[in-house]
Amino acid sequence: MTSVTRFIAGSNSQTKTFMMQVPGDIQVIKEDNVTHSFCGLACVGWMYQKIKDSFFLVLGTHTCAHFLQNALGMMIFAKPRFGIALMEEGDLSKNEPTLEEIIREIKADHNPSVIFLLSSCTPEVMKVDFKGLAHLLSTADVPVLFVPASGLVYNFTQAEDSVLSALVPFCPEAPAGQKKVVFLGSVNDVTADDLRAEAEALGIQVGGFLPESRFDKMPAIGPDTVLAPIQPYLSRVAVKLSRERGCSVLHSLFPFGPDGTRVFWEDLAREFGITVDLRDREKAAWEKIRNQTALLNGKKVFLTADTMMELPLARFLHSAGADVVECSSAYINKKFHARELEALDGVRVVEQPNFHRQLEDVRRIQPDLIITSLMTANPFVGNGFVVKWSMEFMLMSIHSWSGVITLANMFVSPLQRRSKLPAFDKEVWLEGVMPSAE
Amino acid sequence: MRLAFWLYEGTALHGISRVTNSMKGVHTVYHAPQGDDYITATYTMLERTPQFPGLSISVVRGRDLAQGVSRLPATLQQVEHHYHPELIVIAPSCSTALLQEDLHQLAAHSGLPPEKILVYALNPFRVSENEAADGLFTELVKRFATTQEKTARPSVNLLGFTSLGFHLRANLTSIRRMLQTLGIAVNVVAPWGAGIDDLRKLPAAWLNIAPYREIGTTAAEYLAETFSMPAIYEAPIGVEPTLAWIRTLIEQLNAACAERGVPPIVMPQLHAFSLDGLSAPSGVPWFARTADMESFSNKRAFVFGDATHTVALVKFLRDELGMQIIGAGTYLERHADWVRKELEGYLPGALIVTDKFQDVAQIIDDEMPDLVCGTQMERHSCRKLDVPCMVVCPPTHIENHLLGYYPFFGFDGADVIADRVYLSCKLGLEKHLIDFFGDAGLEYEESEASLLPEEPASMPSGTNGLPSGEIAADVVVIAEDGEMKWSDEAETMLKKVPFFVRKKVRKNTETFARESGASMISIEVFRQAKESLGG
Repeated sequence: MTSVTRFIAGSNSQTKTFMMQVPGDIQVIKEDNVTHSFCGLACVGWMYQKIKDSFFLVLGTHTCAHFLQNALGMMIFAKPRFGIALMEEGDLSKNEPTLEEIIREIKADHNPSVIFLLSSCTPEVMKVDFKGLAHLLSTADVPVLFVPASGLVYNFTQAEDSVLSALVPFCPEAPAGQKKVVFLGSVNDVTADDLRAEAEALGIQVGGFLPESRFDKMPAIGPDTVLAPIQPYLSRVAVKLSRERGCSVLHSLFPFGPDGTRVFWEDLAREFGITVDLRDREKAAWEKIRNQTALLNGKKVFLTADTMMELPLARFLHSAGADVVECSSAYINKKFHARELEALDGVRVVEQPNFHRQLEDVRRIQPDLIITSLMTANPFVGNGFVVKWSMEFMLMSIHSWSGVITLANMFVSPLQRRSKLPAFDKEVWLEGVMPSAE
Repeated sequence: MRLAFWLYEGTALHGISRVTNSMKGVHTVYHAPQGDDYITATYTMLERTPQFPGLSISVVRGRDLAQGVSRLPATLQQVEHHYHPELIVIAPSCSTALLQEDLHQLAAHSGLPPEKILVYALNPFRVSENEAADGLFTELVKRFATTQEKTARPSVNLLGFTSLGFHLRANLTSIRRMLQTLGIAVNVVAPWGAGIDDLRKLPAAWLNIAPYREIGTTAAEYLAETFSMPAIYEAPIGVEPTLAWIRTLIEQLNAACAERGVPPIVMPQLHAFSLDGLSAPSGVPWFARTADMESFSNKRAFVFGDATHTVALVKFLRDELGMQIIGAGTYLERHADWVRKELEGYLPGALIVTDKFQDVAQIIDDEMPDLVCGTQMERHSCRKLDVPCMVVCPPTHIENHLLGYYPFFGFDGADVIADRVYLSCKLGLEKHLIDFFGDAGLEYEESEASLLPEEPASMPSGTNGLPSGEIAADVVVIAEDGEMKWSDEAETMLKKVPFFVRKKVRKNTETFARESGASMISIEVFRQAKESLGG
């Protein structure tokens, strides 16, 4: 491949943007994705813990292994249920990777019910036939499922979508007439219990969760299943299921914050022919976080794009009275995110943002709070801003009514903390901390 | 192909960025798929950099490859437009190296002046972190070092000090303190904190100090060949090696002093090197001779790590603390010959050379040493085996980026290492006492929990004589001591809360229940409590 014949993107230093039309005349600005975030392999961090009888095998290079152990801080426990089939230089000239030996090793040591085979950039470039490979390695006892996850296509949370898509054939067919909700998205057991109890209290029958904690317990899905997405990064599996099983997909707000939670449950109940009015409950929930919203009111908040939870988080902040000065996200799906986008009317929404541009805007706008990645959080603080790690929102129970206080506190806590610490003279206390920057 | 869970050395990209992230006015552009700049997080989180590291990604998407589009020129223009670096280092990723993309040609399309760009197109499948870092640093020195007038007074360069280096700042402080005591100026520290101009003036120093076998040695060798600069390659780790290091330093500089008609450097009284300027510079020689330490003669130590620290620690433990060395190894095959030569006569068997942590864990398991000096991974392996372990070298970890002064270099460093040996082994002894005399009252919540049946579902109904399953809400069940009772379901739900906060959640829920007049914790009360208290 020579670069002479190649088209060179971007003829000048200005970031190219264009507008995307979404219903309700909401405009989404699209940039070039020069940003700081993780690739799809990040999903291993929580997915292997969620599905307890699984093994996650990445076909990848030293870089993939280093990413998992460093950036995600994943240490090796007694029997880690994830690993890298490490491609070294000698493996590059081979036609197809031979994983039989590695699969044997995994089965002997871990006895998993299912092995997820994740793709990464190098084998993708080599055009490894992953589907064929997974098929070849699968046995009746232990299926090997292909999970596209490479950074060539997938950002951060998006590979959970791939994992769930791979699980679809293992969800039994629910018979027609069996009207139940299946919640879509991995949450911890406590949150799952809460959502289940809440649904049942509203008279909604619960079919289960995709994913459940065990491979052999995946929920039945059929034409009368209502699929309720509870994480905002799972559009592909939702489409796949509605196409393959004829189930309906709830298009509502995601159940974060009093506003999102009320709309989510009311809309879900409506799918079951149940009319509920949860406005009092929403009001009570707002009342519980009155102190927090008082602090957030009018605060300028900037979300720089990382986990793809940005739209619902920004919507909650917007409802709570904060001034969301930019909500960026790596991927926005016009249909899947339609309700959130409507609720964000008037807010600047950017897809695949350019970080250099964001940095200049942040310096100009001077937001009171920045929601940003592990990679950029401390430098923003060094520049005088208050930050919250975007990744933390994935590790906390912030769903539904019981998550409201936690969610609100997560935004408020960095603001309060800053006001509790003494005044900070950068000239004094940052001297010598980063010699390369002086 | 092999199954890997964890690797000692980082990638070439990591090595490159460690050098560039150390330097002023240098920006690295990774030509790589989304996520390959994950490495930025190690700088911003471990070193807690208060500014944005000079690292950008020129994202390669699958769609770009299909359409034959490259974003590299545009990214280079953006970097120039926003940051105006003096130099942009372009680094390939696994995928772009595999595609054999011509980075020189793509870079030329950016229209940036060629002298502003350094394409470091190594093969990431063949080259790892240390070799890449050492190689790039040497490239930079070759590119910029310029013949200079020597400084008027004796001066040295400190080479190989690199971002994310093991106890880097403290080691640098320890070296600076010794040089200050000797009246020797530091000309340049590189790459840590150096700009391009600093690299230019490297040859102004009288001598190079390159104590890390892994990074900086090659550059010092180049400077020796090209600019006839003498160099000291030994690491001043341990009291005797530090004394020898100081003597060599004085000797070499004094030779130049004589040529240049500068008054020679005089070795001061040793107390001048101490922190208070009044005492012995290190406590180690006396400490090693105390009766307390006699038991150390029987202690069997195993050392595994990079090249520099493995050699230094084996020598320190045996020569200065009088311990037995039962084996040593390194994960840096590239430096194994050097380690072998340095440790001739120190090891009872062959040097272990492996990059598989499982092999090392197996040796530790077989040998059950009294002390292991290793990496974070050995510490982890040892914890499972209850073997005392101290971390003595990279790969780096948040615990190697503490705020206090914990050097490994110099007299100060000897004290730090000896303290760590003592604390590690002593705890080991206490552990044996506990094992010998029983658990000493230590109870862990987890072992308590493990006494209970694993699956609550398997519990027969009516456990503890309570009518479980269908507990009628009107049955008031309050234990005699006033403790709040929990229904089986609520108890099961509580177990799903992480154990380290479980006690707190239990207490808060009970308080909530009492305040709201509930007589026991049903699953409903637990939920209400969670909703009201948050989480």
